[in-house]
Amino acid sequence: MARGLWLVAVLFLFAGLLRATNASAAAGELVKAELIAEPAAINPGQPFWVGLKLQVKERWHVYWRNPGDSGEAVAITWQLPPGFTAGPIVWPTPQRIPVAHLANFGYEGETILLAQVTPPDTLDAPGPVDLKADATWLVCEKECIPGEASLSLPLHVAKRGTAPASDPTKQGQFDVARSKLPQPSPWTARLGLGREQLTLEIDAKGLEPSAVRSALFFPNEPTLIRHAAPQQLSVTSSRLALRLDRSALLTAPPVDAGGVLVIEELLGRTTVKQAFELSNVAVGAAPPVAGAAPLSMFLQAILLAVLGGIVLNLMPCVFPVLSIKVLALIEQAGGSKSDLRRHGGAYMGGVLFAFLALASVLLGMRAAGAEVGWGFQLQSPLTIALLAYLLLAMGLSLSGAFHVGLSLQGVGLGLSRRPGLAGSFFAGILAAVVATPCTAPFMASAVGYALTQPAALALAVILALGFGLALPFLALTLMPRLVDRLPRPGAWMVTLRQLLAFPLYATVAWLIWVLGQQVGPEGLFAALVGLVLVGLAAWSFNVMQTTGGWGRRAATGMLAASFAGIGVAVAGLDGDRGPNSHGTAIHAATARHEPFTQAWLDELLAARRPVFVNMTAAWCITCLVNERTALSSDAVRAAFTARNITYLKGDWTNRNPEITRILEKHGRSGVPLYLLYIDSDEPVVLPQILTPSMVLGEIDRIVDPLQRKASLSTSAKE
Amino acid sequence: MTYLARRTLLAACLGGASALAIAVAPTFANPAAQARVGAPAPAFSLTDSAGQTVSLGDFKGKTVVLEWTNHECPYVRKHYNGNNMQSLQKKWTGQGVVWLTVISSEPGSQGHVTAAEANKLTTDRGAAPTAVLFDPKGSAGRAYGAQTTPHMYIIKGDGTLAYMGGIDDKATTRVDDLKTAKNFVDAALSEVAQGKPVSVPTARAYGCTIKYSS
Repeated sequence: MARGLWLVAVLFLFAGLLRATNASAAAGELVKAELIAEPAAINPGQPFWVGLKLQVKERWHVYWRNPGDSGEAVAITWQLPPGFTAGPIVWPTPQRIPVAHLANFGYEGETILLAQVTPPDTLDAPGPVDLKADATWLVCEKECIPGEASLSLPLHVAKRGTAPASDPTKQGQFDVARSKLPQPSPWTARLGLGREQLTLEIDAKGLEPSAVRSALFFPNEPTLIRHAAPQQLSVTSSRLALRLDRSALLTAPPVDAGGVLVIEELLGRTTVKQAFELSNVAVGAAPPVAGAAPLSMFLQAILLAVLGGIVLNLMPCVFPVLSIKVLALIEQAGGSKSDLRRHGGAYMGGVLFAFLALASVLLGMRAAGAEVGWGFQLQSPLTIALLAYLLLAMGLSLSGAFHVGLSLQGVGLGLSRRPGLAGSFFAGILAAVVATPCTAPFMASAVGYALTQPAALALAVILALGFGLALPFLALTLMPRLVDRLPRPGAWMVTLRQLLAFPLYATVAWLIWVLGQQVGPEGLFAALVGLVLVGLAAWSFNVMQTTGGWGRRAATGMLAASFAGIGVAVAGLDGDRGPNSHGTAIHAATARHEPFTQAWLDELLAARRPVFVNMTAAWCITCLVNERTALSSDAVRAAFTARNITYLKGDWTNRNPEITRILEKHGRSGVPLYLLYIDSDEPVVLPQILTPSMVLGEIDRIVDPLQRKASLSTSAKE
Repeated sequence: MTYLARRTLLAACLGGASALAIAVAPTFANPAAQARVGAPAPAFSLTDSAGQTVSLGDFKGKTVVLEWTNHECPYVRKHYNGNNMQSLQKKWTGQGVVWLTVISSEPGSQGHVTAAEANKLTTDRGAAPTAVLFDPKGSAGRAYGAQTTPHMYIIKGDGTLAYMGGIDDKATTRVDDLKTAKNFVDAALSEVAQGKPVSVPTARAYGCTIKYSS
């Protein structure tokens, strides 16, 4: 105890001494502070970068602009020569430093805080100018010690007309410092305010959900969130959402809802961290996915789901199924009331069973780490094709192309026509299955909410959807008087049934259109052949039912053959994923590039042309960052143009066997991959994380070792 | 038949209801109890430096100030070296306010003191709290969400929390800043005394992290 006190006292004394002696770059044991400048000599009117380099003792830390639950940000007070101006501190990405049940944001080890200084145009000093700054900080391990240093940095002034030159000894440090800065976010972000929670939503279209390992938000304002609370991440292919616990100190909408978002992305076997500066975050009321007032949100979602389920009954895919059930009711109108109710209950059971199964698969996949969303089943061309075939078969049955069972009122699929309760149960399953393509557009908000919730809650919302779907029919069976009011059975029912086939055909048309977005022309052709085969199967089935002997055997063979054909068609269609199946790619401002093909690459190499190959994908965050920060920088573009390097860009957003082969050849299982071919068929493989100077360095190293310095200084202007 | 149908329906309803119950339960358990301005202040019962047990319930009808402290923390030192904390304590205990200084430092960590050391600190610094309380397990600190030293709370006579946050708006360790700082606690206590609503009921707490037991 006493020793601890002594230590603190001594440290305080030391800090006091520091102040007294104005020591620079020697701020004691805990923090070494130093000012460094990037250029060897400064030019009048030309902004340059300086850095406050802090070397913090092991296990101790200094603080970011928002220090978190305690602490104090590093501050710099400049004393600049006349006419000089200094910009704000540009903060590197902070670390989250947990302390008991609290959290701090700051830096351990060596950190360089950058600031841009602009000298006056009139600067014409013969000798060096002195840049002075007082830096203050709080350095903590468990205990906290305030520290400060008065630093000075003599700068040489370049002769007028000389090009800016970097200080080679400092260049590396500034490169490292820049690599630790968060990148401007390419996406728009919004913050939804709930009573207990905030939802940060990032529109990141074309994300690969399974590649996003983690995300952590560091808010600029210290009164926005509870810093130590876990941040719950959900990722879909178009959106990344973080649920944050609202700080009790946030009493009014925040002025600045921005901050730094750190995303960990899985690249092959390694995980790469990328940090983004989120500025201009729009602030709004909690979106439906936010956990605002959990219970009322939940009830609202349940209500929406039930309503949505009821609306589903009117959708072209479901309406015919329901109608058939109602027609069946009419025919049984004379039957007992309790029979009716049993059918209603069984139908409800079937619907709920199907939704439960679907939800279980969905939640199971999510639990297994695959970030899938509702409608995930429609992301598979296979499912879409099978649904289209099912609906076509139902439509053909309604049109009268074939009949199942002995009765003419058959809806098509045997089980759903069974007179017993099982028939009603399977009709429920059928209704749920055919309802799934219609679900996504109608149920967006309720299901969107459900998927951000814990499993049990999500299950409840999805079951509510099923309940709503089954409700109209159940209600009808519970109120026999309603059934009595329905028109008498008659020939009109056959006409109606034939009419009802058309909504089904329309749904088939829609599904084929969706399929067309997912597969190429060959896949689409295979799917259409499948439709024809469904027709053939229906006809064969009808022949099989109505004829005997030799004809019957032939029809049976034909039926089997058409089913086999459908199988082949479906397999063929899944093999041809089209070029545009993953929606919008994130288009960074990139250097002028040409699309990659192996043939084009071979041709260029044969002609001994230098080539840079960039294998990328819309869902690869690291690729995007590299394109923005390195490949599209002026210096790199200029170097490509100057060296006559052809820039080929391969898009691996969808499967592309040519690109896959190239990746495998270089031992990669995924993008990014950067190859530089100069006077050789064997390329130089660049690292997965690029900086402009790295790219330029590689180009220069190969092309012209002598020019290296000049291009580095160009990149320094970035 | 009817019986069967009813049973089916009942089962469906029960199933739905239980799914609902399972779904809702975690949402109630989820949000951590956080002290909130306007809500009843969390109760506590701690031992003071005179060996007495002190509970929040002992002071019904009185305004209570809670001051989390760690005498070695540079931010706390600023307020004691500048005589800021002592003058506030004297001013308000003189008007019947109960001032409780709370130490949540874990034994062996910075800021933890024995009862005798605590009393000596009070004498040496000329402090005037009603009592100095020990919260070695950090239970009271966690219940209030106290993060830093100093971290200040004001509880009205009716037991509701009127203020929580930093002592003032200058998050530094410089004594000089006391002259220009806006003292939120002084302002809030004046408003409570006059029966007015507190105009700044929360502010960011600043200082050293409380050395809680993990």
